[in-house]
Amino acid sequence: MEEQLLSLSKITRSFGAIHALKEVSFGVMPGEVMGLVGENGAGKSSLVKIIGGFDSGYTGQLTFANKQVRFSGPVMAERAGIAIAQQELSLIPTMSVAENVLLVGDNVPKIATKRQLIKLVEPFLSEVGLDYIDPATSVERLSVGERHLVEVARLIAHDPQLLILDEPTAALGETDSIRILEMVERLVKRGKSVIYVSHRLDEIFKICDRITILRDGRSVAVKNTKGLSVSELVNSMLGRELENMFPKRISTSSKTPLLKVRDLWPDGLLDPVDLDIFPGEILGLAGQLGSGTGEILSAIAGAHPIRGGSLEMDGNVFMPKTPNEAIKAKIAYCSEDRKHDGLFLGRPIIENLTSTALKRIGNFGILQPSAENGLANDIAKGFTIDNSRLPSEAGVLSGGNQQKVALGKWLAISPKVILVNEPTRGVDVGARAEIYQTLHKLAKKGTAIVIASTDLQEIANLPTRIIAFYRGLKVSELGYREVSAENILTQITDPFGAAKLER
Amino acid sequence: MSPISEPINQLPKPSILEKLIQRHSKLAITLLAIFIVVFVYGMVTAPNFLTLFNFKTIIRDAALVGIMAIGLTFVTLSGNFFLLSMKETAALCIIAFATGMASGWGFELSFLFTMVFALIAGISQGALIGIGGNPIVVTLGAAGVLYGLGAYWSDNLVVSYRRPHGAEWLGTGSFLGLPNITVAFILIAISAELLLRKTSFGRQVYLIGANRAAGRATGHENFWMAIKVCTIASVCSAFVAIAFSAQVSSAQVNYFSSEFGSSGDMTIMVIATVMVGGNSIMGGFGSTLRSSLGAVFISTVDNMMVLHGFNSGPRVFAVGLMIVFSIIVFAILRRGSRSEE
Repeated sequence: MEEQLLSLSKITRSFGAIHALKEVSFGVMPGEVMGLVGENGAGKSSLVKIIGGFDSGYTGQLTFANKQVRFSGPVMAERAGIAIAQQELSLIPTMSVAENVLLVGDNVPKIATKRQLIKLVEPFLSEVGLDYIDPATSVERLSVGERHLVEVARLIAHDPQLLILDEPTAALGETDSIRILEMVERLVKRGKSVIYVSHRLDEIFKICDRITILRDGRSVAVKNTKGLSVSELVNSMLGRELENMFPKRISTSSKTPLLKVRDLWPDGLLDPVDLDIFPGEILGLAGQLGSGTGEILSAIAGAHPIRGGSLEMDGNVFMPKTPNEAIKAKIAYCSEDRKHDGLFLGRPIIENLTSTALKRIGNFGILQPSAENGLANDIAKGFTIDNSRLPSEAGVLSGGNQQKVALGKWLAISPKVILVNEPTRGVDVGARAEIYQTLHKLAKKGTAIVIASTDLQEIANLPTRIIAFYRGLKVSELGYREVSAENILTQITDPFGAAKLER
Repeated sequence: MSPISEPINQLPKPSILEKLIQRHSKLAITLLAIFIVVFVYGMVTAPNFLTLFNFKTIIRDAALVGIMAIGLTFVTLSGNFFLLSMKETAALCIIAFATGMASGWGFELSFLFTMVFALIAGISQGALIGIGGNPIVVTLGAAGVLYGLGAYWSDNLVVSYRRPHGAEWLGTGSFLGLPNITVAFILIAISAELLLRKTSFGRQVYLIGANRAAGRATGHENFWMAIKVCTIASVCSAFVAIAFSAQVSSAQVNYFSSEFGSSGDMTIMVIATVMVGGNSIMGGFGSTLRSSLGAVFISTVDNMMVLHGFNSGPRVFAVGLMIVFSIIVFAILRRGSRSEE
């Protein structure tokens, strides 16, 4: 049997009474892509932190390259040949790509001209598939996906033996994600090992040789990807049968639209859009990053600048100029970035849940604690949020629970229309299913729900009908009968057969 | 492979200190602990420190700075940093009040007259900050305008009015043995805390301060918030100006610049008080109660140093030290309590 590059045995990590990891075993072979999956809070991040040297307060054995080691800091791990690409980027936006890639490291010349630097970074850039960009471009002019690749290029510059990618595609659209995957394949061909942490099971299946499954801080199984089925994997992640991730599709909706969007022209779109949104349906806006779907949702909610347009609901024609005006019209909007504008992380969960409806829990401006508790408990129940955690800060919750709070706070205004951009970004499988169920339940009660998503699985399985967008243009509308992941992918990546035309 | 060493499965037990840090009210505990240490030290070493009279002096000295700090706390909690025009607002207002009194308008009319200036100062600064102006820059500019107006109006001269006058009750009167200004401080502290904790307005202050973007998304615009909190801060400044003028039966535009407090500069003292109380500079976390305690704390240390015969240099130094110290202590403690997510 071949020697493992990295092996962890009986790793335990506790914070007070909480066990983040319990006797976890984990190993990576040279030249292997090892997937690391598990629900939020299963211990993936804790494990990654230990391997990367960010956390040395564990018990158990860590062996890397045949040596038993205990990294006292990330620099030690880096010297040993371990590199981690974090979810949060650490690039300096105003500096050039070349400068960012060669920011730190032993093999970086102390003094160099721009031209020398560019020559030095070229091999690393082509390694990650960025050979088409000019290394002198400043990082702020790149797309989010390209920035992630630059980050990886910087790590590769140190020639690591093991590369850890922690949710590298969580914020990326389909094409950028594919680039990341191609890069992983290239690295592995050169004998490097990769640990790939992701919620996106399709990617995990596409590139991983083996998959380690964490559950409640334990490593429950290591499986070969070959011959493994998705439901098998999901079941061992959850420790229970997940009957259906997606609820039964709503196929009928009312004939009269609830909200008519007319000539809405958000900044960033090529043409004005008309939309009819029906009560009781889930409308899906499909498109990649940059397709304009998110802009449409935020424009309807008064949170994005527009060139013109109007909304019509219950006979009133209006156009919200601020989110506040949209809220008064019972239009709720959840952006794709819950940490930016979806949550008050430092405030208690209960205050988050009632933040949209202070009038409802107050009497002449005086807050009524009983009304607030009642409202928060109702929402918590509807969204399966643990009641006993309501007084604690929203920031302590896992990504899935945070998303539930970010969405749940809108129930306080009894919305007629709910607009959600990326309803399950960075959310684990269990919380995902719960969010889908809740959206489904709300639609059944007559709420109109519009989601914009770059997640193909989600957009193909949840909505009643789908409108596809491509680079700021509405390209087609699909009823649920015509929906398939392949069909949608064609519509959002190459609707006009442009790939052929250009030649 | 043979087992060379058994993995050590013993986990470190949380120490008493760790448990204490995990407690919810640890910030208040810390502030209290420092206070007690200083108190005990002062009691042991300073003559006449532990007398009822001296205690009253401490609270009375804390009152003026404390009231202004309570007003400023609203601004800080709402995420709009600081107003650098606190003392200039007070300077213009004290001239306005004394002019009214000297013209024989009586207390009530002079009070209202002064408050008009406070409202104009608060609303205009708040509106500028609300539309996106940097609070530091806006209020630095406003400071110049307000002070300049006051100086021009009074010709840089002392405006005095003769006793007996209608404002004496506020300046030198007392109630149940406490100076009325102390009573006002306590009442303002209590009502500010109630306003923050029990009303929709108070909740909005915390929410917008914790995350302005999320505040906007949930229908709470910082524009109106900035106007409200700046007005509260200005009104508190004006009230302090009136109370001080009532004490000395006069006014001069530089009363809050040099002849005041241990550091000689009212704005710096007020900001120090908010900081020493442990309020988050970024907003969303803290309370007016913290600022009130901060005022009493600074006043206690100052009082003790006076009794020890220190002159103003070392006392200013001590205030500076307290700011640095409190920022460090609170930063460490909060890092322990907040999640890193």
